[in-house]
Amino acid sequence: MYVWIWRRLPGGVPGKLLGCLILLFAVLVLLFKLVFPWAEKRLPFNDVTVDPTTTTSTPSPAPSGAPR
Amino acid sequence: MTDLAVQSPHREHHPGDGLRTAARGIGQLLITAGVLILLFVVYELWGTGFYTAAQQHKLESTIQKQWDGGGAPDVSTLSVDNVPLGTGIAVLFIPRLGPHYHFVVVEGTGFSELQRGPGHYPGTALPGQVGNFAVAGHRTTYQHPFKDIAKLRRGDYIVLETKQHWFTYRIEDIPGANGTTVPWREIVAPTAVQVAYPVPDQPDPGKAPTLKLLTFTSCHPEYSARERYVIHAMLVSDTLKPALPKALTTKPRS
Repeated sequence: MYVWIWRRLPGGVPGKLLGCLILLFAVLVLLFKLVFPWAEKRLPFNDVTVDPTTTTSTPSPAPSGAPR
Repeated sequence: MTDLAVQSPHREHHPGDGLRTAARGIGQLLITAGVLILLFVVYELWGTGFYTAAQQHKLESTIQKQWDGGGAPDVSTLSVDNVPLGTGIAVLFIPRLGPHYHFVVVEGTGFSELQRGPGHYPGTALPGQVGNFAVAGHRTTYQHPFKDIAKLRRGDYIVLETKQHWFTYRIEDIPGANGTTVPWREIVAPTAVQVAYPVPDQPDPGKAPTLKLLTFTSCHPEYSARERYVIHAMLVSDTLKPALPKALTTKPRS
């Protein structure tokens, strides 16, 4: 995969290195801005509340009258 | 990455080349997966804190403006249903966790509220009110307001600043229902909502409270969410600003 990318990047070694950096940066931005925030909502380790319906991290509406 | 041998035009095909390519591909994939997971850990433990820091900064200036601007009444005089989700309601100080420890408590315990700071369970009492002011907070991510919750001890003070008041709570065993005692620290199942009841651990959630209490919940063990770590405290003093409460001017007992 990486070999394939390296071969297709233009501009000789300096151009290829620059291309790599740009790609790497784009991937990191994508991960930190979109993928990770999306993923963490589906994982349980951010649960800190007591909740009668705790199964996943999706917060449920409070039952009327009683604290959740 | 720089496998130049592959680029050679004179390369001959040998038996086993396909296997080698496949093995290399799988190897790269596994390394990529490992790096991805490591990056995710970096994001959770460290990256999420930037968001919370920025949000806390905003909440702090908003709440300060509200307090200075007159108009709005002190949060302790409001009805529990009159606090919009996501707004800052009080500033939390815990001397045991250092002189600089402070967080704006946000109304609500949904994901987006807890991203911004410790969150007040909607429907539970407000600071200084009869009932149980219950707050949830992250322990490992989002600037982990309750990272050191396990360092809190019986007798430690928890201080809440509102527009006009300093409410000082002390961590201690709470008289529960029917002569029972609720221990100052509990480790419970994630479904144990009764810890946040007006009278904690009372089977009847509607039981009329008489005490002014505070309850913290966070995840437990650290880095896991298998259980909940719970702290209970009771109001011991209510002083008017601007004079600082004793709990903030004296050092916590060692």
